[in-house]
Amino acid sequence: MTLTAELRDILGHDRVLSEPLERWVYGMDSGVVRGDAQLVAFPETTAEVAAIVRCARHYRTPIVARGAGTGLAGGAIPTQPGLVVVLTKMNFVEIDEANATAWVGPGVINLDLSKQTETHGFHFAPDPSSQSACTIGGNIANNSGGPHCLAEGSTVGHVLALEMVTADGDVVMLGGPAPDPIGLDLRGVVVGSEGTLGIITKALVRLTPNPPDVRTLLTGFASVEDAAATVSGIIARGVVPAALEMMDQRMTQAVERFVSAGFPTDAAAVLLAEVVGLSAAVEAEAAIISEVARENNATTLRVAADESERARLWLGRKSAFGAVAQAAPDYYLHDTVVPRTKLVETMTRVYEIADRHGITMLNVFHAGDGNLHPLMAFDSEEEGMLDRVKAAARELVEVCVQVGGALSGEHGIGIEKRDLMKLVFTEADLDAQARIREAFDPAQAFNPDKILPAGSRCFDLGRPPLEGMWV
Amino acid sequence: MAWMTPEAPTKAELSACIQCGLCLPHCPTFRLTGMESASPRGRLMVMSAVAKGNGEVNDVFDDLMSFCLQCRACEVVCPSLVPFGRAMEGARIEIAAQLPSPIRRLRQLITGRLIGNVRAMRLATRIARFVQRTVPARFLPRQVRMSIGGLRPLPKRPASTIGSTYAPVAPAGSGVAAVLAGCVMDPWFGEVHIATIEVLRRAGYRVVLPDGQTCCGALAAHDGDAHGTRRLAKQNVKAFVSADLIVTDAAGCGAHLKEYGNWAGDAGEIFASNVQDVTEVVAAAIEDGRLPRLEVPRGKAAMQDPCHLRHAQRIMAQPRAIVSAAGYEPVEIDDVGMCCGAAGMYSVLQPAASAELGRKKADQVRASGSTVVASANPGCEIQLRGYLGGAYRVAHPVELYWEALQAADMDAVGWSLADEGTR
Repeated sequence: MTLTAELRDILGHDRVLSEPLERWVYGMDSGVVRGDAQLVAFPETTAEVAAIVRCARHYRTPIVARGAGTGLAGGAIPTQPGLVVVLTKMNFVEIDEANATAWVGPGVINLDLSKQTETHGFHFAPDPSSQSACTIGGNIANNSGGPHCLAEGSTVGHVLALEMVTADGDVVMLGGPAPDPIGLDLRGVVVGSEGTLGIITKALVRLTPNPPDVRTLLTGFASVEDAAATVSGIIARGVVPAALEMMDQRMTQAVERFVSAGFPTDAAAVLLAEVVGLSAAVEAEAAIISEVARENNATTLRVAADESERARLWLGRKSAFGAVAQAAPDYYLHDTVVPRTKLVETMTRVYEIADRHGITMLNVFHAGDGNLHPLMAFDSEEEGMLDRVKAAARELVEVCVQVGGALSGEHGIGIEKRDLMKLVFTEADLDAQARIREAFDPAQAFNPDKILPAGSRCFDLGRPPLEGMWV
Repeated sequence: MAWMTPEAPTKAELSACIQCGLCLPHCPTFRLTGMESASPRGRLMVMSAVAKGNGEVNDVFDDLMSFCLQCRACEVVCPSLVPFGRAMEGARIEIAAQLPSPIRRLRQLITGRLIGNVRAMRLATRIARFVQRTVPARFLPRQVRMSIGGLRPLPKRPASTIGSTYAPVAPAGSGVAAVLAGCVMDPWFGEVHIATIEVLRRAGYRVVLPDGQTCCGALAAHDGDAHGTRRLAKQNVKAFVSADLIVTDAAGCGAHLKEYGNWAGDAGEIFASNVQDVTEVVAAAIEDGRLPRLEVPRGKAAMQDPCHLRHAQRIMAQPRAIVSAAGYEPVEIDDVGMCCGAAGMYSVLQPAASAELGRKKADQVRASGSTVVASANPGCEIQLRGYLGGAYRVAHPVELYWEALQAADMDAVGWSLADEGTR
């Protein structure tokens, strides 16, 4: 028997892909690294996932779990020839209205969950820009954020329990319906582990009540400094908006070409702020935001008149990455965090780096929590361009770490930033993390080569990086 | 060899995709399977693999491309503005060129040649009518049953409108509307043509159906028949050379006609710029008062957006405006406009996927609580009627409007008679 034949025994012929062209599309996600998917399996139940894991273990084949493949850090890329387990078919939703929770399959699309819970008056709070396509399983694996996580927190705060298939093929339940279950918080360990500890087959997620009222404000500024000062000013006045997003001029122009939502394309930076809650509070907070924006010389100040205008503005913001393709055939989107007070300084240095390497740089970011998304647009077929982009990317991360920031806000480490982990973690830190991973998956069958750099454990031999791998 | 034909997907088309994946949830076949290889992004990646020599045009390539409905829902949500429909037509042309087969040649004979021949269509209509009237549905293979069952009762002697001219009904002065009769619209959907012609006359248009016109060629283009597509396009460009306004009442035809620039050069470009779907023309006439808004309430109408109207031509408001003006309350059935699965020949070539989508669409209509469905495309109409069954009425929005207009005429006559009686 071969692994292919055994998997077809478990899943049937059509739910295992082995043809080269079919496998080819599973070699990539939304990032830029290509891996090698030898086989692709589509389980529909937890039992099938467990059987697949046991089977792959028997053949010593690495396993990479995948949702919609919208990740940007290469988290779902099979860096070693291996088996990709695609969870898109596990997309059930069972809503518990009384407890404001839902059991969901890992393959449920983030926005679908919010749409399905809308009639009950709920939504799922984490809203990454890719929310119309990305899956809950991927959100959990990467502890995803999104514009509205400024007030609501990232995915880890919205997951109560996880059902997971372990490296042995056992099915375990981590956490539970109680908000603070007893025992070690393994649920917290698994959220954000990027598929390295097991395969999540079911999750109990917290649903957030839809706010009774909402105001979305669009402001434009003649300088990035004014916009950044407005962000700090708003927070200093004690207002924590549901979302506080910034886009620079180039990004605003690219987005406006796609959505025609009336973004001011002549502004150096635009801020999109949203406040939610009871009408009176929303009114008061919107007034404070307008006031702070005016104090900081806002050149545009507009409140979305209705739901369709609001939707249009958010569509613009959330299409930002894709819209960049209008500027160049390839893009490399970064994800770092800096203290809010260092926004202006960091931005200045980030533009400097891009100019020095001759790269087109566009910026869009979650300004409220200092999560930057510098985006480099380029043509990979231009001689030497890829090297310049890689060099610029590394410098950019170093600058962010220097000013007291973090490696990643929400995209995860994957393979993209694995070797940069040493910039922020000591040997002891990395060793502790590697030991946890070893405890879950001694053979490193789940998503090998991800998150932890080679040599995190003293006896770790490491592996040479793949061709084309970032930094 | 990677590509063989000049129509193959171009480097610019393929590199426009940056693999963000936002198209995935809007793709009906991705929704059915959860498979990347059945998504727009996956298909573009497969085309790129061939373009760069990492794959070849083989049976697997054929299967992956043929599973696409060409509904173009992905184009609407693509922030990178990838011309997916064009790239897919290119991929189909490559398949036809590199993997010729007798079946494909037969299909090309039908979609590229016979379908544009009025006499051949008449014969086909007679055969279909015979089957429709004599063979009990249970003896037919399911897909044939759905298609035949979804058709309107076919006429005994299908009339052709080609070559006719109709004078405007006062107030005149809107100009000349040159109408495309189409291949199946003419013999099988005569009532839609009558509604189109009469409503255009009421809007002040002189209506002509120029001689020498033929099938638009959409089916041939979707099946990869570059030669047939070009020939049909050039024939129509010639037939409509003097027209400033070219009107079609089939969404699938309109979407293709608006892309004649790809098939008939500069003359095709000019032709394309003159094309409007009948819903655009009629909605504009209602808007500026050339056609009345009718007040008598007629109940609900479920709005089914043909993909080639909503996604390919970005027309959504106009059919709703027309249905409202006819006195109906338009009811939304689907906030993203998922394909009904008809998709031209798809219902015949990919019966399983087509059936699943057809059932879903029928469920959406049933859930709307409306027994009238407005749909502006013949393929969708057949599919909807097939899956909804006889208790539902499926009609073109302009047809609903024409009926309301006639009813208003009758009322007016009735009132004036009544007036005379009291005098």
